[in-house]
Amino acid sequence: MNKDYILGVFKDEESLVSAFDKVKEKGVLPLEVYTPYPVHEILEGMGNKTRITYAAFFYGVFVAIGILSFLTYAASISWSLNYGGKPFNSFPSFIVVTIVATILSITILTLLTFSIRSKIFPGKVPEIYHERATDDRFVMVIDKKSMGANTEAINSIITEYGEIE
Amino acid sequence: MYNSEVRGRLITGDKSLGQISREIIAPIHAKTPVWWYFAVLVGLIMFGIGGYSIFLTLTKGIGMWGVNNTVAWGWAIINFVWWIGIGHAGTAFSIFLLILRQKWRTAINRAAEAMTVVAVFCASLFPLMHMGRPWLFFYIFPYPNTRGPLWVNFNSPLFWDFVAISAYLLISASFWYFGMLPDFATIRDTAKSKIKKTVYGIFAFGWTGSSREWLRFEGLSFVLGGIAAVLVVSVHSIVSTDFAVSVEVGWHTTIFPPYFVVGAIFSGFAMVLTLVVIMRGLYKMNDFITDSHIDAVCRVLIFISLIMGTAYLTEIFMAWYSGSQYEIYMFFHNRLTGEYAFQFWAMFVSNAVIPQLFWFKGMRRRMWVVFVISIIINIGMWFERFNIVVTSLSRDYLPSTWASYSPTWVEIGFFVGTLGMFITGVLLFFRFVPMIAISELKSVAKFDKQRNENLKHNDHE
Repeated sequence: MNKDYILGVFKDEESLVSAFDKVKEKGVLPLEVYTPYPVHEILEGMGNKTRITYAAFFYGVFVAIGILSFLTYAASISWSLNYGGKPFNSFPSFIVVTIVATILSITILTLLTFSIRSKIFPGKVPEIYHERATDDRFVMVIDKKSMGANTEAINSIITEYGEIE
Repeated sequence: MYNSEVRGRLITGDKSLGQISREIIAPIHAKTPVWWYFAVLVGLIMFGIGGYSIFLTLTKGIGMWGVNNTVAWGWAIINFVWWIGIGHAGTAFSIFLLILRQKWRTAINRAAEAMTVVAVFCASLFPLMHMGRPWLFFYIFPYPNTRGPLWVNFNSPLFWDFVAISAYLLISASFWYFGMLPDFATIRDTAKSKIKKTVYGIFAFGWTGSSREWLRFEGLSFVLGGIAAVLVVSVHSIVSTDFAVSVEVGWHTTIFPPYFVVGAIFSGFAMVLTLVVIMRGLYKMNDFITDSHIDAVCRVLIFISLIMGTAYLTEIFMAWYSGSQYEIYMFFHNRLTGEYAFQFWAMFVSNAVIPQLFWFKGMRRRMWVVFVISIIINIGMWFERFNIVVTSLSRDYLPSTWASYSPTWVEIGFFVGTLGMFITGVLLFFRFVPMIAISELKSVAKFDKQRNENLKHNDHE
């Protein structure tokens, strides 16, 4: 088969993590690792960072300010109505709606961010390297070019813990 | 790190990862059992009764209900609060137990979340119909309009409630759905039939399980979990302010928000227990939802039941201690001994007394006992809402306005309809969706392995 990558397929988390560490020691970083559940050693080892939590925080700040401003503007400036003589700007009772609507907005915006950044959306055709990577196999995809002189060594590391496919 | 030797195994039967997927997905691939069709039929008939009741309510008006000027909130509000309470299980299981790092939650959270979505949907129908003219529902949105003073009151708990319930429905539905993406991908990749591959492929949104996806997925769960934790407390607190801000005897108390929140989690956990016992019985999920899972939920219920009992007694004590003749009348003459004394004592016995049976291990181990008690708690929680809504309204400050209340068959039919909707929804969930979070369960499966100590100890979970 004319492929420019090799697949290291492992049966459990420990083998994957051990092989991953050894491959990294050789100075080779796999293109991608596919696992049935999140493995934290891999998530850290791959060196990617996510800023989704910061994004969520900023959405929260802006949305909260926006909603509170809207409530204050609507109730005390634009359309003040007298409810039993209570002050138009009854700030503390605006907090409830602000909090709840902020939580809703953060959720929706963060989900959208996740969907856009991870390219997870309805109708997407997935690029599947190994059919069982979502079932019971841990799959490491290594670019052949990146292996260079280490090809032999990496092949033997993978076969020690799992299989090459 | 979870030590299965100390805390018990999370999954019994020494399963490989492949087995976990296969056994949980099995009901989706298997031939639909006959009882399922039968149960769906029952659910749909009940739903039909509800549909007809709603039709009558819409075409003839609220006069079809038993509510009157004095008791203006009848079954509709009771059922609304009841369903919302049940709907608290999803977030309570997913978020609270996640924050408390309870690994056993992984086997149950999916079912709890599914139940939440259906229950909150059922709940939302009641205020909608109680509006009388639900086609003017959009009046509650604060948008520029020409209706003059007919504008949303931001200080009203009823408006807060609308915001809270819609937010809760949307958030719990999306939390549930995004949690299922990896599992839909598992079905897509293991399914033999082309149709299933395509359909679940669409639902899986192209999930592959790459490290980049998992990284962001974890970030997303962290954010959603963190902020949705507020909802567990806020939603029912807001529901309780619907009552507590009104100057009505028995409602106007500061105990209401915590009392309602605890009650909601109580009924939610009880309904989850009902559901997982059914899952064990019908789908043989005993290896995933083990006896110790049931045991854990029962123990939580004992604790909450004690809080409920304390809350009931506190209310009675405060009524006496306040010295207010109205409060004393409400609690000692109306609730404990009055026209609706049966509902009060049904509530007290079902919520505060019967769950105490869970102190005995023998009771927690017998599934039929657990099942029956979980149903009793749900009935008791319904009576609690009846007790709050009807007793206070029927005997207010002015004896000339006193009135009794009993529901008409249209109200009962409406409630039966939502029960039917719930049953149908849950059955569809059993049939077409993995009822246990497969990927989460796999991630805790390693704790049961022999080589437990070889795992690195810097695991974040």
